[in-house]
Amino acid sequence: MSAPVVEIRNLEKTYGLAFVLREVQLRLLAGAGAFIIGGNGAGKSTLLRILAGLEAPSGGHALVFGQDTRRLAARYRRRIGLMAHQSFLYPNLTARENLEFYAELYSLADPRECAHQWLGRVGLAEVADTRVRAFSRGMEQRLSAARAMLAEPALLLLDEPFASLDHDGAEIVAALIRGAVERGACVLATTHGIPEIDGVELAVFEISRGRLMQHAHKEEGRRGGRIRSLLGR
Amino acid sequence: MSGFAAVLRKDLRLELRSGESTLALLALSMLVLVVLVFALGAARVRSVDAAAGALWVAMVFAGMLGANRALLAERDNGAIRGLLLSPLDPSTLYAAKLCAAFIFMAVAEVGAVILMVLFFNLDFDASMARLAPILVLGAIGFSALATLLSAITGRTRGGDMLLPILVVPIFVPALIAGVKASAAALSGAPFESMGDWLKIMIAFDVLFVTAGYLLFEHVVGGD
Repeated sequence: MSAPVVEIRNLEKTYGLAFVLREVQLRLLAGAGAFIIGGNGAGKSTLLRILAGLEAPSGGHALVFGQDTRRLAARYRRRIGLMAHQSFLYPNLTARENLEFYAELYSLADPRECAHQWLGRVGLAEVADTRVRAFSRGMEQRLSAARAMLAEPALLLLDEPFASLDHDGAEIVAALIRGAVERGACVLATTHGIPEIDGVELAVFEISRGRLMQHAHKEEGRRGGRIRSLLGR
Repeated sequence: MSGFAAVLRKDLRLELRSGESTLALLALSMLVLVVLVFALGAARVRSVDAAAGALWVAMVFAGMLGANRALLAERDNGAIRGLLLSPLDPSTLYAAKLCAAFIFMAVAEVGAVILMVLFFNLDFDASMARLAPILVLGAIGFSALATLLSAITGRTRGGDMLLPILVVPIFVPALIAGVKASAAALSGAPFESMGDWLKIMIAFDVLFVTAGYLLFEHVVGGD
């Protein structure tokens, strides 16, 4: 049995006296796709930031590729792609320059060609030389998806990847997620509702009052009547 | 090395595109020098001591402005998190940021020296070349200190206000040495007479470049 990509044991996170996450357990293998649902402030984004090593847990253990996320070495960080609320993009650089910059940071073979390919994949080839500050929120979100997936990470952490996207944009990001799962990446995404992604079996978890619970199947969440497909299908 | 070059190239590209830091540094240098020329009066305007002091006051004010901007671009859209998540070593990030801050400050210094010569009625002669190593050492030390501290203050509320409070007192030894060495250079004193002042500046640079390189990963953060 292969080692889990993500393993969380008794994870806790507090801000002051307030518990955001408590006794969180999670185990995901390579090629797994999972969505975490929950309301605003439920702790979804915090969990992703902890897994990315950008925030330290208050208790318990978060392991990625078997490594504690508090001390992720460069060779493990390079295998993680994070798409967060903030795009991590430079407004005064063009879309192409942003992707080339990140491609260089990840020492990818041909940053220019890589940026060109990804701009095509997210449907932004025509605005490749436009500065990001002129982008709409949806265009920035697509570019942010390309930035997160540029180095083809083995672990993809997506914080509300469909937010601000129109139907076409959502289709593009859904296709990228499907592609990532198909090539064996582990994908963990947060959202307010469960999206449908053709051909991908998604595990669904819910965070409520800081605790993570697994739905038996995504249909269970949909039958509950509380969750609406973000893709509108 | 590619990460260092990528960050430095990106910072220079952003600066060339906006010119915000360099123009602000030059404008502030000019303002400080003009105010000091009028404050000191005609009697002291040809004094090299006054000129050296005015030059360093302009440099410190301008450097502070540049330091505040050093990590500002990285806070936009949370780009600092993208950098911290990347395989880039935090100390390499520090080195690139220090290098960029040094370049911006060096450009501002060239402008400030020209303005100082004009406002203080000095002559463009060999003494100006003797200023170069002093200003380079000063810019390295200030950039090293300010880049390190701006990583801390950038995470705090009101960090813009906090940075000068932290930087100036720590920079005082190098500032005094820089003013004294600059005055000696402008008055045409032999190079040996500046030796002790230059040693202080070199020691300051070594201390804070090393401290920044070692500590940056502990002070820079996503928030």
